[in-house]
Amino acid sequence: MKRLSLLAIIAAVLVLGSLAGFASEYMLGIGFTLFMYIALAQSWVILSGMTGYISLGHVVFFGSGAYVFVLLWGLVPVWLGVAISGLVVGIGALIIGYPVLRVRGPYFVILSFGLAELVKNLVLINDARLYKSLRPVFGAPPLEQLYLSMFILAVIATALTYWVRRSRFGAGLRSIREDEGAAETIGVLVARLKLFAFALSAIIPSMVGAIFIMRSGIFQPGDAFNPIVSFTMVTMAIIGGSDDAPGPFLGVAFLVILQELLWVNWPEVYMIILGALLIGFVLFMPTGIYGWLSERLARSRQNAS
Amino acid sequence: MDIFLSFQLLAAALITGVLYALISLGLNLIYGTMRLLNVAHGDLVMIGAYVAFMAFSLFNVGPLVSMFGAAVICGGLGWLAYRSIFQRMLSNSLLLTRLEENSLLLFFGISVIIQNLVILFFTADRQGYQYLSEIIEIGDVRLTTARLVVLIVGSVISIAAVLYLRFSMFGLAMNALIQNRDASAVVGINVDRVQMSSLVIGFGITGLAGALISVMEPITPVMGFPYTMSAFVIIILGGLGNIWGGFLAGLLLGFLEIFGIAATGPEWRSVLVYGIFIAILIFRPQGLLGSGKAAR
Repeated sequence: MKRLSLLAIIAAVLVLGSLAGFASEYMLGIGFTLFMYIALAQSWVILSGMTGYISLGHVVFFGSGAYVFVLLWGLVPVWLGVAISGLVVGIGALIIGYPVLRVRGPYFVILSFGLAELVKNLVLINDARLYKSLRPVFGAPPLEQLYLSMFILAVIATALTYWVRRSRFGAGLRSIREDEGAAETIGVLVARLKLFAFALSAIIPSMVGAIFIMRSGIFQPGDAFNPIVSFTMVTMAIIGGSDDAPGPFLGVAFLVILQELLWVNWPEVYMIILGALLIGFVLFMPTGIYGWLSERLARSRQNAS
Repeated sequence: MDIFLSFQLLAAALITGVLYALISLGLNLIYGTMRLLNVAHGDLVMIGAYVAFMAFSLFNVGPLVSMFGAAVICGGLGWLAYRSIFQRMLSNSLLLTRLEENSLLLFFGISVIIQNLVILFFTADRQGYQYLSEIIEIGDVRLTTARLVVLIVGSVISIAAVLYLRFSMFGLAMNALIQNRDASAVVGINVDRVQMSSLVIGFGITGLAGALISVMEPITPVMGFPYTMSAFVIIILGGLGNIWGGFLAGLLLGFLEIFGIAATGPEWRSVLVYGIFIAILIFRPQGLLGSGKAAR
């Protein structure tokens, strides 16, 4: 059973990866969005799903990565630029994470949001001072390459969440979520684990941001730090279930299809549905689709035996 | 440097401060009695502003009358939100374990729904109307009559609300809930009723403030967001759930913002507000007036 599902996963990875070779422009575009949000939602789960430190400003990493990348544009080779963005933002997260993670619970949630807005405004002011209200990105690699790189990031992010969930490290993180004080008392290195999770969940979104900028062809602080990106990330993880890797997968697939159907013609309706879904899931299915499914499965197995 | 001593700036700071105090009062009540983090708070300001705008353009009714209508409509929304969502949530032990985070997600959903409904009905364009726009001079201060009226009405209502919460029987019950929810139930306070009322009153006051704000700035579906952020900065500055502290912090933030902008420039407004906010959260999360121990 286990070997079979592993084979299925490998087959799916190969098929989806090789799509870059022959799928139409439109399909690749949808795939790009799909994998972008999978990478983002999985990264969010590593911090917020595991530790319970809910970040409402995760777009700050996405936007900062895009900004670093656009500053490097033309100076270094494209993919090196993407890697450097990840590195710079990861180190930045280690530094700001230290004071930020001392703040707990609701304070952290609001702080994470404020932080994203603060960074956005600093970037806006800086660009206005340099007379660069928008920064175009000319000569980006073709869509096939962008699709493939986003796909790879999504795979890495999913594998990372899968590993974290089952590792000692992840057990430590989840003990923080259940009771931080108690975890500290029995010797979990709370501060260090949180900081590490914070940095880990920052790196992939920043690289995603860099690649996203190549797809959109232009960097605008308002778009790169758009709170809707944070909101979508959170909603996807919550709808799917934020305690394990398959959860965000389900949430993303569901919402990207919805987005594809509604975003262009009825963006307001899309947002209203998004809001209603968030409310419904928090109230009635707080463990998400995946949590609900696995609970169901466990119960039916129990009945069978 | 004499710009910082001008009465012009002082008047502007007072107007902003009074409105901030009023808006954050509602947020504080809701957090204090139920531990709900209302991130849709600024959207009530927006609804209040649209109510005043519609009343003026359709029926030629001024904001001084329609502000009560705005209060009633927003209060009604508060009732609806309590009955449909939060009553259920507050009695569900599974959701109570992470009440603040969950409430924040719920209000986030509500905020998105409200904003997009308003865009669907009124488009995303900015609206506005002219009301008492002639300029009057008091000493060397020049301001529109509308702003003067906002200052007076806003002060009266916010002071009345603070006094009411301090001295009336009902206000005392709310304060009891803010201090200790379980103990209040034990001494015979109807917790459910007080919770619902604080949501209704909190929403209503904010809608009223929105009607006042509509005479001073353009009305858009997203105008509420800066007020949400400011209100959070204020109630954290004053200590979460501390009504009197929040009132003072509202005035303080009004002054910091207006004088800060005068010193730097309007593009620094957000950086200023978020900067204060982050500094407070990291260095003094119990608030300026709070006691030594952190709130959690």
